[in-house]
Amino acid sequence: MIQLFLGLVLRAVVVLTGTALATFSLLWHAPGDPALAIALARFNAVVSTEVVDQIRVEAGLDAGFWTAFKAWILPLLGGDFGSSSVTGRAVWPDLVTAMSYTAPLALSGLLIGVAVSVPLAILAARRPGGWLDRSAVAVASLGAAIPTYWLGLLLILLFAVQLGWLPAMGARTPVHIILPALTLGLGVAASLTRILRSGILEARGQPFLPAIRRRGVASRAIERAHVAPHAAIPVVTVFGLELAFLLEGAVIIEVIFARPGLGTFLVTAIETRDFPKVQAVVILAALLFVTVNLVIDLIYRALDPRIGSRDA
Amino acid sequence: MRSVLALVSVFGALVLLGPILAPHDPTAIDIANRLSPPSPDRLLGTDALGRDILSRLLYGARWSLGLAFLVSLMGLALGTMAGLLAAQGGKLADWTVMRTTDTFLAFPDLVAAVVIVGVLGAGTGSLIFALTITGWMRYARVARGIGLSLQTRGYVVQARLAGLSPLSIARWHYLPSLLPSLTVVWTGMFARAILGISALGFLGFGVQPPTPEWGTMLLDARIHMRSTPLQMIWPGLAVVMCVLAINLAGDALRDTLAEQGLPE
Repeated sequence: MIQLFLGLVLRAVVVLTGTALATFSLLWHAPGDPALAIALARFNAVVSTEVVDQIRVEAGLDAGFWTAFKAWILPLLGGDFGSSSVTGRAVWPDLVTAMSYTAPLALSGLLIGVAVSVPLAILAARRPGGWLDRSAVAVASLGAAIPTYWLGLLLILLFAVQLGWLPAMGARTPVHIILPALTLGLGVAASLTRILRSGILEARGQPFLPAIRRRGVASRAIERAHVAPHAAIPVVTVFGLELAFLLEGAVIIEVIFARPGLGTFLVTAIETRDFPKVQAVVILAALLFVTVNLVIDLIYRALDPRIGSRDA
Repeated sequence: MRSVLALVSVFGALVLLGPILAPHDPTAIDIANRLSPPSPDRLLGTDALGRDILSRLLYGARWSLGLAFLVSLMGLALGTMAGLLAAQGGKLADWTVMRTTDTFLAFPDLVAAVVIVGVLGAGTGSLIFALTITGWMRYARVARGIGLSLQTRGYVVQARLAGLSPLSIARWHYLPSLLPSLTVVWTGMFARAILGISALGFLGFGVQPPTPEWGTMLLDARIHMRSTPLQMIWPGLAVVMCVLAINLAGDALRDTLAEQGLPE
């Protein structure tokens, strides 16, 4: 077990190093003079070559690739995300502020997704092929085909523009979270419903169930003790994918709803070529992703003992 | 299955015939008739520059669907090669390829694509690059898995003993067994590519105006949401219908293959 855990951690470290290297080399080889871009963003005007050269030295852009990479990665290991190349302020506090907007959005989106999909999947799986099942699957398929940004726009159009019930832009009050969270949550619900439904159906088809039933165990007890854990396995796996969906959705949704979260942070950083900020978001997201997947891997193995013995 | 195929062929025909069917020039500006409602001449109305929306949708299919088709095929080629390399190239190659796959999977692909396109500069070239480089991993996993399972099959062992090079074994023995499963993965990735291209277009990082592309059209339409809400409906509806049709085709294909008992 400890060996397995260490192996998974090692794998996570390799993946994180790869992400850091890939991101850094992408930004390093980006077209255009980064020093000039910083100068333009900082002074909002054309400046002399001396100033550009000075910025180049300041930002460590005159050093070689590996020197610059080390100058970025070593402080990062100590938790220092560096400072913005545009404003010169530390990246971390701004990043925390952005996360304080994204985290509630992602969380409420996930909650809405679970709250919609779990009852729907259970109802749908009660009578497979029945009208309820077929309409649930149809709605879920449709939901999976709707792009997040379009759903967001439609909700704005309906609830903010036509009906005027809810605010759409910004994040001034707690009410502002409703529409973005709904957009995110409905997307999550669409994919989760399908996976949960087929998970339950597959669990019902397990060959040991009739044996238990014939022994006289109440069907309610069978559902709880045998079907539910079995149906939970694909759900746990899919949580990693849902996290990707949440992050992706949050980026786009925040841009649509003008929420000052991680998505807006990232897009603004890219547009102003503020590379330390871009790197910070990428590393943070990768860290989150790798950690969650590590935990999922462990839960997965705990739920299904067969997996651990099959491959290490 | 048959109805799904019919649906897919209709979309294919629209992509190919779109420019012939389009009633107007998709980039012809007509300020006098801007934001006009649907009429017999302009079936879906006009946008903020007076351009015919129906024509833009039909021309846009080439970009939104055509680019997605291209990108998903390039991902298929890249991922299959990577997966077969991992399956056949020995331990070191396997480890390198699979850890690279993990690294690319460790990040939401659309966010990665936004970063790549944003850094390289918005445009069709960087769009294709970004979506290909973030869209090959699933193929690689499937190709490697099936490749590994085929390795000990009699005909593969015999081919190896007969002195066939790994490349020919991959070409003549692995690829035919891989194709059905890879096609199912491909339908999913094709749908994802359509969503990705329009999302990047919507964020302003995709195909650049005045080229008609569905995501970019939505970006334009968004500003005029209050005055002409209908304008925002059409491009989104086009994306949804295409993605839905492809997903259904993928499901039907997977069910057909499952009945025939081919490797998942």
